Amino acid sequence: METLGYLIDGFGVALAPHNLMFALLGAMLGTLIGALPGLGPANGVAILIPLAFSLGLAPDTAMIMLTSVYAGAMYGGRISSILLNIPGDEPAMMTCLDGYPMAQQGKAAEALAISAVASFVGSLIATIGLILLAPVLANFALTFGPAEYFALFMLAFATLGGITGKNPMKTVLAACLGLMIATVGIDNTGVQRYTFGVLELFEGVDFIIAIVGLFAISELLFFIEDRAGGGKETISVSKLKLSWKDIRNIMPSSFRGGVLGFVAGVLPGAGASLGSFIAYTLEKKVVGSKGGFGKGDPRGVAAPEAGNNGASSGALVPMLTLGVPGSGTTAVLLALLISLNITPGPLMFTQNADIVWGVIAALLIGNFLLLVLNIPLVGIFVKLLSVPPMYLLPIVTMVAFVGIYSISNTTFDLYFMVAFGVLGYVLRKLEIPLVPVILGLLLGPEMEKNLRHALDISDGDWMVLWDSGLAIGLWVFAAIGLILPTIVGPVLRRRMRGLEQKDTAIGD
Amino acid sequence: MRLNDRIFGAVLLALAVAYGWGATQFPEPFGGAETVGPDTFPKLLAVVLSISSLYLMLRPDPDNAWPWNRTGIELVIAVVVLVLYSGLLQPLGFIISTTLAVGTLCWRMGATPVKAYVTGAVSGVAVFVIFNFVLGLVLPLGLLSFLEVS
Repeated sequence: METLGYLIDGFGVALAPHNLMFALLGAMLGTLIGALPGLGPANGVAILIPLAFSLGLAPDTAMIMLTSVYAGAMYGGRISSILLNIPGDEPAMMTCLDGYPMAQQGKAAEALAISAVASFVGSLIATIGLILLAPVLANFALTFGPAEYFALFMLAFATLGGITGKNPMKTVLAACLGLMIATVGIDNTGVQRYTFGVLELFEGVDFIIAIVGLFAISELLFFIEDRAGGGKETISVSKLKLSWKDIRNIMPSSFRGGVLGFVAGVLPGAGASLGSFIAYTLEKKVVGSKGGFGKGDPRGVAAPEAGNNGASSGALVPMLTLGVPGSGTTAVLLALLISLNITPGPLMFTQNADIVWGVIAALLIGNFLLLVLNIPLVGIFVKLLSVPPMYLLPIVTMVAFVGIYSISNTTFDLYFMVAFGVLGYVLRKLEIPLVPVILGLLLGPEMEKNLRHALDISDGDWMVLWDSGLAIGLWVFAAIGLILPTIVGPVLRRRMRGLEQKDTAIGD
Repeated sequence: MRLNDRIFGAVLLALAVAYGWGATQFPEPFGGAETVGPDTFPKLLAVVLSISSLYLMLRPDPDNAWPWNRTGIELVIAVVVLVLYSGLLQPLGFIISTTLAVGTLCWRMGATPVKAYVTGAVSGVAVFVIFNFVLGLVLPLGLLSFLEVS
């Protein structure tokens, strides 16, 4: 078992005292980020990247910390779903359906504990899946040539809108914008492109600045517009009354949810939202009319939570093995890898084995930490929920400023970040997704390199791009990924909305 | 109303044309023209963007309302605050500019002025102390540099 050996080495890295400390810090910060309103996981990880970067953390430490933040944010997202009926992020939507009714019945503590256990089971299953699947996929990806990589990038963009995405043309548009921004700067043959003689643009647009601007600053602007200024009243969390029987009851649901979530996370275009949705609907079918789904059934909390956490760990598979992230948050993690000068993709498993396996081991350790942290500390997180956003968001914005400023100590970068924030606001208003823009920025250089490489080999013959069976397969999947949402998307969206409306009808 | 997408589509089409034209103006790389040069990828992008922006103009989605009211003014104020914060961070120093920026933002988002600026000052001092003394990253003191103990 070669994998086992690597994994043991990985534990060696992850259990080093300073790495363990940062994993703990990351898990706490992540839960906080997930729990606070208006701070999704992608947003939170984005704000922390410049800090990890300017602190000069070693690559493995930085990666471990931010992966823990990622895992923690998925845990935290459920707190506001259950207590306030406000999903912290989209995948947490399904948790509201049974979590909030449970809280209304005075079983908030139970709902929180059950969801923590289910999250743990989901992540654990998915992490084991990741350990088994990632090396195989990485080996397979080693056979990819430049043409296959180009097709793979196309696949990534095509499926990014997700199966529930609205207008696939807007995904294409967003990806183009990102790729265009990525071409700014001096290219690898030494030609200046779109720099307009501005010195700061010679090295290209720093994607960290773009990401923080697009996510964090536009979030602030959206919040001001929504005017949800005041704090929410909190539901008091009673003392936890949870027996082993309750935990045993939700185990089958968590298990099924975790497996489904993992599959949804690995597949391009599915993602955590679909993972929790499938997990919830399947669970409803399996349990049938015996369960009180929608009225506070613990299994209705466990299944989507396990699905959502399973999917978020599963989403790391394509990011680590192919260098192609399938979601916004994994795209942000990819940004960290690139800025640490690590080339993501199959070679990472051989060249940076310590980092890859350290991160995977950290994911396992992080999940244990989160389970242990979450049950006793839930009271503190609940208190934090009552911090009014009108104080919180300006401070978060300030932290974003500090992070960007500390990278290069220039004012130019800050202006740039604000400009990206305004751009992000406008794009979101037009319902143009931001994640493809970011992915375009990140993958642009690599994509162009592969295109030029492929065409150089074939002496300018474009047919080389679909010359092998593998490449054709990837192109076909990309086409399906772009067309399928227009057919399936409306149906799925209607169903998700249907569930939600039924729930609010009960809630009122 | 489906104006937003049409206007944005037109803007993007113009951008695509300008971008594509820009790609034809690149100087020839050292060693003569190759079959695939620095202009190949941008030209490809310009074509794809033109097609998708045309599609956007022809099949626009329904509009989201823009905040043409007081909220819009608040948004403009927020952006101005952020721009000023960027510009004044170095000359005024981190603590003063943060007090002003965070304070103003909190105030405009609905906090009482006193609470807002106290929040700004406390968060500014706290972050400054953490950064300069714990994390070892230097933030500018600006006007407060007379406090510096070296």
